[in-house]
Amino acid sequence: MTRNDDSTGAAAERKMRRQYLPFHEAAIGMVLAEPIRIMDRHVVRFTLPAGHELTDVNLRQLAAHGTEYVCIAVPDERSDEQVAADAAAAAARVMAIFEGADLSRPAMAALFERVLAYRSR
Amino acid sequence: MGALRTPLTREQVLAQRDALPVFPRVIDDVLATLDDPDANVGDLVAHVGRDPVLAAQVFSIANSAASHTRRDGKVRDLYTATSMIGLARLRQTTIVTSLAGFLRGALPPGLSPGFWEHSAAAGVCARQVALHVHQPGDPALIAGLLHDIGQLWLFRFQPELFMEAWQVAVRREMTIDAAERERFGVDHAQIGAWLAESWDLPPPVCAAIRHHHAPDGALHEPLVAVLHVAEVLSNALDLGGSAPRVGYLSDAACEQLGLRWDESTESLFGRIDAVSHFISTYFRSHGVSEDVRA
Repeated sequence: MTRNDDSTGAAAERKMRRQYLPFHEAAIGMVLAEPIRIMDRHVVRFTLPAGHELTDVNLRQLAAHGTEYVCIAVPDERSDEQVAADAAAAAARVMAIFEGADLSRPAMAALFERVLAYRSR
Repeated sequence: MGALRTPLTREQVLAQRDALPVFPRVIDDVLATLDDPDANVGDLVAHVGRDPVLAAQVFSIANSAASHTRRDGKVRDLYTATSMIGLARLRQTTIVTSLAGFLRGALPPGLSPGFWEHSAAAGVCARQVALHVHQPGDPALIAGLLHDIGQLWLFRFQPELFMEAWQVAVRREMTIDAAERERFGVDHAQIGAWLAESWDLPPPVCAAIRHHHAPDGALHEPLVAVLHVAEVLSNALDLGGSAPRVGYLSDAACEQLGLRWDESTESLFGRIDAVSHFISTYFRSHGVSEDVRA
């Protein structure tokens, strides 16, 4: 029973993914995957923590601050097979883009690995 | 291989410049508000009022923001609209709108839509990289949007040789800038910098355009590293352009910006993905891409 509970919890965690949206696509009830921290001339003007559920008031506040994007947590409805297929397709595309790159150079190698990880998610 | 008998000179490039549309002077007003937010705001707002396309864009953004509030009715007054979207957004909107109009007018027939998709993507990346490393975003946005303006000049005024160079680069026989130097004696980065200087763009923007493929000799100018990395990122993230690919990334430029490409940079990638939608949609909706497909 305990094992089932753990598995269910792990599956639920695995099935959420981050998504970056232009602000005009943000809506009430969306859950922040990253904190929002709005600075103006090195002064923090507005913050919301990760895990916060956006409210109508929040959206008005963010609009007033000229927010351009939000990072939210969304359910990942894909099957494990689809996740693997999507990751493989994304990896193939990244490798084609980097085909002529000199991956012995530290910055290039690090960028390649980071883009590969980002796009393969 | 064809080539010019003598290398292109600055004078030859600028002599043809008048065949391009007049460069939008409002960019000066935008840049003037950077250091002193109270300076020239009136001029900037007045310019918006004289430009129906720009004013419509400002009202559109203001009303989108108003949809998140409980305001009654649409925003119809320009000063209210400006105060709602804020000076930073007004500057960004003015840059994108005015440069999109300029680029639309400068388009030679037959140029691939990928050219403008790449310019828009580089603009987004440059602004976001600059903000990520705590530099001003607006000069970076301008530099990114205009970084390949030299290619436009070559395509417009030396189309046959330029297409030859382009095909060499597509076949991966050499880089585009090397193929251009073989044929013209200079590359598009140099031509773009000459044009930018002639439009009185700030020296950091001109330097960034000049060195965006080979930044290491000019890293004393911070925008050089920003634009170089941004241009690479726009290809690495597959944000637009015909057959994007990554060829060279300067270790020194990354080091100067403090970019380590660890997990913290994934939020930078995410911001770029989200915001790129704004500019690429704007370019498409205002006919830049459609014009070149025609």
